[in-house]
Amino acid sequence: MSKRLIVLLATLFVASLLLAACGGGATEAVVEKPAETMDPEMVMPEEAMGDVVVIAPGDPVRIGVSVALTGPIPEFGLDIQQSYELAIVDLNAAGGVLGHDYELDIQDGACDGDAATIVANGFAADLTIVAVAGGTCTGETLGLKPILQEARIPFVSASATNPKITNADCDICNRVALSDKLQADVDADYIYNTLGLTQAAVMHDNSDYGLGLAELFESAFKALGGTVLGELNGIQVGDTDFRAALTLVGTDSPEFIFFGGYVTEGGLIAAQMKEVGMEDVVFFSDDGVYGQPFIDAAGAAAENAYASFVAGDEIAEVNAEFDAKYEAAYGTTPDAQGPFHAQAYDSVNMIAAAIASVAVEDADGNLVIDREALIKAIRTTSGLQGLTGVLTCNDIGDCGAGGIQIFQVQGGAFIQVSGFGLD
Amino acid sequence: MIAPADSNNTLAIQLLGIMEPIPQNLRQSSAGKISSWIRKNFITSLGIFIVVLLIWRIVSVAQQDSYPIQYWAFQLINGLTLGGVYALIALGYTLVYGILFMINFAHGEVMMMGGFAGFFTLQLLTYLGWTNDTPFSSAISVVVMMLAGMTVSVLTGVILERIAYRPLRAAPRLVPLISAIGASFFLQYTALLMFGAIPHNYHKPSIFVGVWRIGETGIIISYTGAFIFVTSIIMMIGLYIIVQRTKLGRSMRAVAEDKQIATLMGIDVDKVIVFTFILGSALAGAGGVMLGLHNTVIRFNSGFIPGLKAFTAAVLGGIGNIPGAMVGSLLLGIMEALGPSALGLPTEYKDVIAFSILVLVLIFRPTGLLGEVLSNKKA
Repeated sequence: MSKRLIVLLATLFVASLLLAACGGGATEAVVEKPAETMDPEMVMPEEAMGDVVVIAPGDPVRIGVSVALTGPIPEFGLDIQQSYELAIVDLNAAGGVLGHDYELDIQDGACDGDAATIVANGFAADLTIVAVAGGTCTGETLGLKPILQEARIPFVSASATNPKITNADCDICNRVALSDKLQADVDADYIYNTLGLTQAAVMHDNSDYGLGLAELFESAFKALGGTVLGELNGIQVGDTDFRAALTLVGTDSPEFIFFGGYVTEGGLIAAQMKEVGMEDVVFFSDDGVYGQPFIDAAGAAAENAYASFVAGDEIAEVNAEFDAKYEAAYGTTPDAQGPFHAQAYDSVNMIAAAIASVAVEDADGNLVIDREALIKAIRTTSGLQGLTGVLTCNDIGDCGAGGIQIFQVQGGAFIQVSGFGLD
Repeated sequence: MIAPADSNNTLAIQLLGIMEPIPQNLRQSSAGKISSWIRKNFITSLGIFIVVLLIWRIVSVAQQDSYPIQYWAFQLINGLTLGGVYALIALGYTLVYGILFMINFAHGEVMMMGGFAGFFTLQLLTYLGWTNDTPFSSAISVVVMMLAGMTVSVLTGVILERIAYRPLRAAPRLVPLISAIGASFFLQYTALLMFGAIPHNYHKPSIFVGVWRIGETGIIISYTGAFIFVTSIIMMIGLYIIVQRTKLGRSMRAVAEDKQIATLMGIDVDKVIVFTFILGSALAGAGGVMLGLHNTVIRFNSGFIPGLKAFTAAVLGGIGNIPGAMVGSLLLGIMEALGPSALGLPTEYKDVIAFSILVLVLIFRPTGLLGEVLSNKKA
């Protein structure tokens, strides 16, 4: 009896792990299913009304939020959420839209495609949601994408950087963040030409974001003439002991490690490199790692590590004003929390500007928002002044201004050493 | 005689268990003898097949890319450290199983609670300036952290036993198991609510910052790694002495053998069970603090995967068997560290290797490596 019970349980656990493993790398194909099987009744009334959202007098205009409050980057997620909230406070203080306030429906996308699928289905079923701000991570946003597209709800992501987020087939997909293609090219160029390093070991965390960026970096670095040693070395998000993986990477004697992934794992890798004899190997990572939590996680080992960031074209005074408001509201500076607050603030404002441009009042005093018009209005955003510069969406929904910046940890803080804004 | 192709075919069919009985003339041929042996010893032959495949894979990988011997030694050290932590957790599983025949799936979370207690103690001690003052005060702060972690884990374990398991002791065996899984989620999300989703970073006390280099070999042992290994071995020996040499240990073994007879002999079964939870939880608490010190991070779900791994290790060694849990844990740690390289797989497959071992052990040797002693009385 007992033996069988153990067998049964163990099998169940292994099965659940396998499922979890499959889910981690949620591809578009996998998450498309719930959209297809969605209850037709949920969609029907919406279509019957001719794809408009009708908001009764006094009711708020609701914007869905998918943000990574759990998962590998909860600090960054909280930073983004707080910036969304600040944006809403400012918008409502300025009178909202035709007398209606804006309201956020904040959900935890957990930086994960599966969690985002549930969040997106919730938004699709809620007929009062007109647009979505989010998701935070690439995998999460890829989970939102097919469902929101089916439901005709446009989204604007503040921080999802993978090139797959926006494409010509997706008219509801928009983002303020810059693409990883650009980031990978600038990183490879800086490492090869400025640092003069040629022997790379590329690691990633098997997330859509990390693996995607690692692949882009690999091809960019090879194109420049650099050598990528061995295969791409994967780790798991949530794991904490990378010594065995790093020992293996160390056998190739790389000059630097490029890590595509998030801040916790990045910090631990930077710290554990020193424990497996790779003290002289340079650690170079990405916008998922750029932030104070990296320095907290890696401790003294963070010193001299590099991270690049998809920075906006910021105007110092405007951002100082925002930082002061943020600190007054939450008691910390936004930079101590995460890097994407300006993008987050802008993405809500971009949505709000589009809503304001299409919303009309009908004879009964209801606010009417046409979904298709809103989708078009967001996509045709042009010349909108935000914290990250002048936002203008191109035909596939990349709206961000700015460029790639490269930072190095010096004296326990990230100091910009190259890239946008310096030259 | 039957053509070779045909006999292969029948073999395949017999492997699938479709065709029987075997024709008389086939039974006489040598191929037939093999096939009938395979049919009788299906599991054994499948095991041999898998072992042959594994050896073939290891040999062919070794021929392709040969790592230097230092590499294997280095990975062995990584594995032993990992195994040391698994052992401290696995002992908790095995102790409770030995007494109650139930798997305490919340045990990983008991460890996580200890890890958090260690973290907050470390914060306090760093604030007081103990951790980086002198080597002596730094060492004391580690001891204090361990004690704090063990205390909180013991409290969690005992409360868990009182609330989630004791009321269900007379229930069918599946019921406390489900209760354990529920308790596991409860503790995880309690931690999420109390401490947030943000990872908490341990900042190592000054005596733990640094590494030993072994000559020119390139092998490096971190202080925390060595500390984990040595401390876990000492704790395992301590546990073994408690169980084998003390009066309470004797009562534990008596209760494990037969609860009713033990009661008749004047043993307070409840007390013994609580004591078992105390022992197991204290080890888990120490493991949680050590894992925090070594990997420098703890979060609300830190207990889940190590808990599963430790469960695997306990099953590998023979669940309910204390030396088995130790051996199984060290073996699992080593296989996780060496396995991917030996099999020519990326290191991200280490979890696949660990849980494949669990499945293989359950199929081929459900009693575990050292589980023979117990197989009769507890099966």
